[in-house]
Amino acid sequence: MDLLPSSEQEEIISSAAQFLAATVPMLRTRELIDAPSNVDPKAWSSAAELGWFALGLPEDAAGVGCGLADETLVFREIGRALASGPFLSTTLAARVAAFGGDAELAAAAARGQRVALGLLGADASIDSASGAIDGDVQLVDAVDADLVLVAGPDVASLVAVGDLEGVESVECIDPTTRLSRATASRVRPVVSVSADVDPVYRRGVVLAAASLTGIAEATRDISAAHAASRFQFDRPIGVNQAIKHPCADMAVRAELAWAQTLFAALATDERRQDAEFHAIGAKVVAADAAERNAAATIQVLGGMGFTFEHDANLYIKRAHVLAHAFGDTRDALSRLIRLPAAV
Amino acid sequence: MDLAFSAEDDEFRDEVRTWLAENTPSERRPREGQAMRDYDLAWQRLQYDGGWAGISWPVEFGGRGLALTQQLIWFEEYARTGMRGIDARFVGLSHAGPTLIARATEEQRAFHLPKILRGDVVWCQGFSEPEAGSDLASLRTRAVVDGDELVVTGQKIWTSFADVADYQELLVRTDTEVPKHKGITWVICDMRSPGIDVRPIKTMEGGTDFCEVFYDEVRIPLANVVGVIDNGWSVAMSTLSFERGTAFTVDQVQLSSTVERLIEIARQRGLLDDDEIVRAFAQARADVAALRALTYVGISRNRRAPVPGPEGSIIKLHWADLSKRIARLAVEIVGPRSLALTDDDDGRWADRYLASFAHSIGGGTSEIQRNIIAERVLALPR
Repeated sequence: MDLLPSSEQEEIISSAAQFLAATVPMLRTRELIDAPSNVDPKAWSSAAELGWFALGLPEDAAGVGCGLADETLVFREIGRALASGPFLSTTLAARVAAFGGDAELAAAAARGQRVALGLLGADASIDSASGAIDGDVQLVDAVDADLVLVAGPDVASLVAVGDLEGVESVECIDPTTRLSRATASRVRPVVSVSADVDPVYRRGVVLAAASLTGIAEATRDISAAHAASRFQFDRPIGVNQAIKHPCADMAVRAELAWAQTLFAALATDERRQDAEFHAIGAKVVAADAAERNAAATIQVLGGMGFTFEHDANLYIKRAHVLAHAFGDTRDALSRLIRLPAAV
Repeated sequence: MDLAFSAEDDEFRDEVRTWLAENTPSERRPREGQAMRDYDLAWQRLQYDGGWAGISWPVEFGGRGLALTQQLIWFEEYARTGMRGIDARFVGLSHAGPTLIARATEEQRAFHLPKILRGDVVWCQGFSEPEAGSDLASLRTRAVVDGDELVVTGQKIWTSFADVADYQELLVRTDTEVPKHKGITWVICDMRSPGIDVRPIKTMEGGTDFCEVFYDEVRIPLANVVGVIDNGWSVAMSTLSFERGTAFTVDQVQLSSTVERLIEIARQRGLLDDDEIVRAFAQARADVAALRALTYVGISRNRRAPVPGPEGSIIKLHWADLSKRIARLAVEIVGPRSLALTDDDDGRWADRYLASFAHSIGGGTSEIQRNIIAERVLALPR
């Protein structure tokens, strides 16, 4: 039992952080807000060359063969950096294709062919046997994507965007995310995989939790830096417990989110029987940490926090997008109570 | 990174589980006084004879010298027996013992450590005073050197188990002329010394093992000073960080079984149709899981850097908030029957609810934990 990264894993963390800071710093991400696509093509192709989309794929499926725990290290950095683009859905699409028997498509996704994330509406459904989808669906980051990943707890599907009706782009709450709406009338997937073969949905839950943790950590650090350097009444505002204690609470939430996310990733890697329990727990805790830390950061920053110019608003907006990926908290809690207790 | 325990650890867990199944006392623990002391010490002696005392203490001090992982396994299995995590043995095993190992002389260790492990003695903690609570360093209990003795006069408060204790880890003011952190001494006090008066304080849940202690020219040999005179603050800080590191593991693990029992009770009473109850319990499941994950992270860190850091405050703070929330949830599930302090299942939840108010006060209030986290983890100004 060891929940600290090894030196190789420390290397994954620092190289991912450096890569993102060099290729898509916040200034670049802000430039992309008004561009047709929110993806920086050079950063995206470099990420593909680094093997990010194939990190967790088995080596016999032309992947890197790392565990879900290693992938969480990268997705935490993506969340922290607020890098924009369909990293999560493209990574998982490679898995759906690989485990669903479409090696060519798997290789394409691993090389960076972009796949959007589909969020099913309240009345929409995914058929757990065929993977067909029906009803209204929102597409996240579908610019340049021909396929969309739609996943439920039992099955994950890749569906052709061309098979959907009425695709219409809408403005997203998060300006660094692209959103569109569409309707599916019993659309059969290009390829799908059952959760018994590979738990794609659960992996999505854990990786979303990792990115949410990155947001919780980034906002904690913004608040702490501001509390230490902003002077009012001739002292740093961080000496006041009304500022200091919310900052401490941010640290608590971020630590819990990261610990549980790692626990969940390792539980999946080690095929523990309570892996599902821990994955849902991670998403619940991390979504809460990201949203509350970002919200508290806006408050700590005062007027600056409410401006578009400061990045705090981008963190809370992204936190809301990620919170809806692979089941929101309401859905997660109703699933969690039905599972057997953790081992 | 991995979650799996080694084959050796699994074997150790089996051994622990078997031993606990065969040896855990079946009689109920008396609530207070000499009977409680006898019960707790007999239980320690049984563990000692079974080879389970001081699992992670170094071999040279009578421990087993095993890894922290095995200490964790012991705590996890111990928690499953339902025995209390904190009893009269707590200060000796989790405060004073580790402090003596870290800071005491050969003679002091040789005299005290075996007694603690064998279950011969009860220790208590003499830190807080009426005018020195969260601001512990402002303590005033005075000690004056007279020949080869310290002469102590003053008062301590919130001293659990003082009424049944043999020894006390006592903080006294030995220099009044220097800044407050500098003139403090950590000394071993024999609780049977003349001039000591112990008075019980009845708590809101009815317990009486909480005490105040008065010292009227109590003479303590200078040989009982741990560390050096006036350097007691640093000795005390090593004790507190141990407390916030792994000492609460049993309570943490028991929270998980408490939540599962409550879910079962809610199910039996048809309360799981209520969305609000479902959400509260599912959230509690997630939060308890995260607490355990954080405990595992803490143990992983401790293995690389043996003295627990301020991260222990994060665990303590989260545990306090969570255990209070769950205790409150319990009385909600039990309903009006939680009003009766009867010695049955329903009544015991009420007891636990009342006791839970101490969780965010004892061992450093939650406000102080937040200060520690903000100042030492986030580097915010004081």
